[in-house]
Amino acid sequence: MVATQLLVGMAEIQVAKEGPLFVCLGLGSCIGLAAYDPVAKVAGMVHVMLPAAFADKPVDKPGKFADTGVPHLLEQMARLGASRSRILVAMAGGAQVFNFGSGSAGKLDIGRRNADAVEAQVQALGLRCLGKDVGGNQGRTMTFDSGSGLIKVRTVTSMERALCNLKGS
Amino acid sequence: MAGTLTLEDIVRKTTDLPSIPSAALAVIREADRPDASAQKVAEYIAQDQSLAARVLRLANSAYFGLSRKILDHREAVVVLGMRSVRNLAMVASTYPWMIRPLKGYNLGPKQMWTHSFGTAVGAQLIAKETGKADPDAAFTAGLLHNIGKVALSIWLENKLPAMMAMAVRDDLTFDQVERKLLGFDHAEVGAYLAEEWNLPEPLVLAIRYHHHPDECVPPEPIVDCVHFGDYLTMSMGFGLGGDGLRYEFSTKALHRLAIDPEATDRLVAAFVASYEEYEKLFQDLDQAA
Repeated sequence: MVATQLLVGMAEIQVAKEGPLFVCLGLGSCIGLAAYDPVAKVAGMVHVMLPAAFADKPVDKPGKFADTGVPHLLEQMARLGASRSRILVAMAGGAQVFNFGSGSAGKLDIGRRNADAVEAQVQALGLRCLGKDVGGNQGRTMTFDSGSGLIKVRTVTSMERALCNLKGS
Repeated sequence: MAGTLTLEDIVRKTTDLPSIPSAALAVIREADRPDASAQKVAEYIAQDQSLAARVLRLANSAYFGLSRKILDHREAVVVLGMRSVRNLAMVASTYPWMIRPLKGYNLGPKQMWTHSFGTAVGAQLIAKETGKADPDAAFTAGLLHNIGKVALSIWLENKLPAMMAMAVRDDLTFDQVERKLLGFDHAEVGAYLAEEWNLPEPLVLAIRYHHHPDECVPPEPIVDCVHFGDYLTMSMGFGLGGDGLRYEFSTKALHRLAIDPEATDRLVAAFVASYEEYEKLFQDLDQAA
């Protein structure tokens, strides 16, 4: 049976009981974070765009930022019965331009900062990360088959490859 | 391969070159003049019935949110302004061929369009935010910045994996690999086409120097706007091909635009919001194509 596909657009969060194929298309500097609770069989994914919400602006979409997106993903999964202590995650994305000429990159290295910010959230929330494919200069597509647990990543020029399995097999 | 061919040979031998209707080119040139006339813009659009129909459809899209329907292209020029209509003419003229896949760059259907439109929106935003260039001219320049890829694509088919391997091995950007292999890159091919079309000089410069704005002497703000718009678009993953983000970003361009690098995240957020707003224009584009 072909799994239902759940597209996780930029700044979006999707959660479901296991079964659907979660897809983050065209990750440039953005990060896709897949999460799974093997006991409650609850899965989810967030497509993070920037490291941190702006202090002086209301957050329109929590999935947009690492510091709001990851906690919101867990909250939404918890509503379906997931428990934070059991959640396993994998992340991909965080590419950036090849170099920044002679000057300092300042905050222009969004890809690296996004990867660092998501990783910091993963650590702060005590989540176990089973796979990570971040950095470089290539766009990525990340898929999470919540039926099999398989996380796959592909770039435009490379074949799709298995990153890890959130069901641990 | 094409190592012994000149840029002119490549353009002459490429059968599927991008084209822009002569009426739309006349609109660009007219709108760029200091004494531009709205009436003339309307007259040029009227010369091409298909273009006029598509411009009218776009003018009535949800993006503009007008309370009543615009009935003809003359009214569109009056209500929206000739520079907005110039941009609509460009969107209507480029969309039909920019949605085609470009195998040489591993760009699937619509990806060249997504990247070009993203860069148009990004360049326009930067021009508005900084006040350094005319936002509507920046939009057009962003839309056209990669036209050279359309001409070069067929010459690069099946060569992308080897080109990326060379880039990694020799620590090169993708445009450096193009130059090594062909003697020129997609920006130079694009500028050549833009000159053939007799586009205004700032547009030609923006296309030629979009990856190397520091080489544009004297500096031209529209070039820096397109460079930054391209960076925003690549970073957000809009229409990335096999060349990915393997390009250099000039921090000097940022200084010339007087943009604080600390403002990067806010500009990214504003860019994505602006892009999503513009998507209302796309709702009618498929019918318009």
